[in-house]
Parts: sequence; structure tokens; C-alpha cells
Amino acid sequence: MFRLAIEKSLNHLINTNSIQTERLDDSLIGISFHDIDLKLFFMFANSRVFVIENNAQDSVDVDITLNKKAFLSLFNGASFEELIENDEIEINGSIKTAQQLADLMALSSIDIEELVSQYTGDIIAHQLGKTLNVIKGKSIQDTGEIFENFKNELTTLLVAPSRSKIFKNKAS
Amino acid sequence: MEKTTHFGFQQVDVDQKQGLVKGVFDSVASKYDLMNDVMSLGTHRLWKNYTIASSNVSKGDKVLDIAGGTGDLAIKFRKKVGDSGKVILSDINGSMLEEGRKNLINHGVIDVDFIQANAESLPFEDNTFDCVSIAFGLRNVTHKNIALKQMHRVLKKGGSLLVLEFSKVENEMLEKIYDAYSFNLIPKLGQFFANDEDSYQYLAESIRKHPDQETLKAMALDAGFGFCEYHNLSGGIVALHKAIKT
Repeated sequence: MFRLAIEKSLNHLINTNSIQTERLDDSLIGISFHDIDLKLFFMFANSRVFVIENNAQDSVDVDITLNKKAFLSLFNGASFEELIENDEIEINGSIKTAQQLADLMALSSIDIEELVSQYTGDIIAHQLGKTLNVIKGKSIQDTGEIFENFKNELTTLLVAPSRSKIFKNKAS
Repeated sequence: MEKTTHFGFQQVDVDQKQGLVKGVFDSVASKYDLMNDVMSLGTHRLWKNYTIASSNVSKGDKVLDIAGGTGDLAIKFRKKVGDSGKVILSDINGSMLEEGRKNLINHGVIDVDFIQANAESLPFEDNTFDCVSIAFGLRNVTHKNIALKQMHRVLKKGGSLLVLEFSKVENEMLEKIYDAYSFNLIPKLGQFFANDEDSYQYLAESIRKHPDQETLKAMALDAGFGFCEYHNLSGGIVALHKAIKT
């Protein structure tokens, strides 16, 4: 789901903004993490990007190694120069190609922190809480709607019984 | 080339299999969607939604849905490709295509092309499609390796193949329950809802004869795809293989 969310988000961005990715076609960029057991490959082909976990091919065009914090900062528009200067990222291969991927990431609007948390487990409780709040909110809303509908129906029945659902479409 | 192949648990002549499978699908076509809902308790809709979500298909794309049957994937693909794209639904079985045509019209979809074709000899030029899908169809194909090569041929470079198919259950306990369900209950459900126990016995058997996840992945790579990965759904009852032509 993590990969799929990133893949969908990047492709949505490419499609809706007509971003030309042809220059990246046939590129394979690998990203691995110091602190998370996760390796991602970004494969560009047919003017779209595929985010994959296993790579059958022997070599990648660019190999990026970084930590979770640096990865998250790429989605927030951090510059490569800054990350390189701070020794937070290692790039083997074309920095220009890596920068183009980073530019795409920076433009996307996914909640990357929440997605990465699946691998680090630090906001599972937060997610659970959020889900519970949604359910709670929904049930409050549903109860409100039922009560509102009941009130409306009762009023209609008392004021204009022929318009009530009970008698509507029934011959008198 | 092998002289015999499996038809469920039976060993039959290679030339016979296509006709036998045709008999099964002629028999189940009119009740196909109902039976899918009954047998999977509606879960097949989630599996198909996941397939669509994984497809990476966008506006203007050309999509081929092989063994498209009653057209549930084609309807969703049509929505994704928009008016500038194209969806073609193919099936080897005329009865299933007929059901698909009715179903699409009922959904207000009238611009999907229908083609009766064998997956082993697809009547399309090389490098035509952005995406090729086959859902619950590959296990009925006699020569799966030939069909996979054909799918690879008709895909554009960077195009993706999606194979949604029953697969090998990961958990032993779940496998036992699943075996009991599919060999005891599914044929009975087939008898009750579709008045056809034998066809559903075949469906249950054909699932067990289908290659497991890793074998199918190796077959896709062997057919020429540069990349293939799979994702197990419902504990491996079903797997979605996604292969990319590089």
C-alpha cells in the first residue's frame, strides 16, 4: 500500500500537471534507507513512474542512500545540495536524474510521514486514533441524521399527511 | 510440445482442453457474476478494485482486458482512460462476451470494443497497449507461456501486465479451510445457484493446478518482461502479478 500510494500520487501529479517525464524514461533509481528495512526502486517508463520493491535487474542508474528524515524532507522540498552538505544523503550515479525525481516528490501532496510510519511503527496509535475518530464522527453524524429525518417526517405527517412518506403515492 | 495437459485434475489431450473449457464457460456464463459474488462472498470486487488501483492506467491509455468475461474490469478501465483512451475486451468464449456486452450496456458503457480471441494468438499489432489485464482467466489457458509472450508482444515499452488469479494460500490452517470450502461447498453452491455442479468442481480443481506465485513470476520474466512482482490478497487465495515490459 505504501508503494502504491507513492506511485499513485506521483503519477497523478504527472498526469494532472502534464509534467514531461520522457527525459527520465528508462531510468531506474534505487532508494535505500539507513534506518528502515525498506528499499524502493523508481522505474520511469512510458511517461509514468512505477514504484517497486524488488528489482530483477542487476544495475540501477542512480542509487540513493539516506535516512528516513532526509527522505521525508525531500517530499517537503529540501534541496539535494543541502542534504549532501549535511552528509544526510549518498548518491551514486547522475545527480541530475536524482534531482528530477526529488523535484517530483517535492511537488506531490501525499502524507508521506503517515505512510512511512507503517515501517517505523511510531504513529500506529495516531492512525488508530484517527480511524476511531472517523467512525465516531460518522456515527454521531448518522444518529443526528436519523433524528433529523424522524423530526421532519413527524412534522410532515402532522402538517400535511398526504406528503408524508407513509401516504405518498397512495390513492386516497 | 506436450501432448496432454490438465483439465482440473484430469489429464486430457492438449487439443481437447480448449473445447472443454469452452463447455464450462458456456454453461456458467449467465450466472457467472452471481456465482462470483456467492463463492467469494463479494470479495472478488475488492480484488478487482485493487487491480484497477495498481494498474497505473491514465487518461488516453489503451487497455486490453483478456478473458474479460462479464466486463467488470473493462467498465472500471473505461472510466480511467476517459474519452481519449480505448478499452478492448477480449474473450475466447462467445457466451461470456455476450454477457459482457449486456452488462456494459446496463452500465451505460457503449464504446468498449469486444473481440473474440484466443490469448495464445492475440490479433493485435506489436506495442499497441499501455496495459493488458487478465483476471481469473490465465489458469484456463492451455499454453500459458505462449499467452504471456503474446501479452508482452502487444504491450508498449513501459506497459504493464496485470494478472489477477487464484494462487497458493500462505497459511496452512487457512489452506485447510479453503480446501474444504472449495471442494465441498463450491460445487454444491454451483448446483444450487447455477444447476451445474461439474463446472464448479472444475473451477475448484483448476485453481489447484495453476502455477503458484513464484512460478508465475518466473514465467512472466521468461516471457520477456523486465520486471515482475506479485502481491498476495486474502492470504494468497488470490495474487496480483504486475509485470512491466522494459
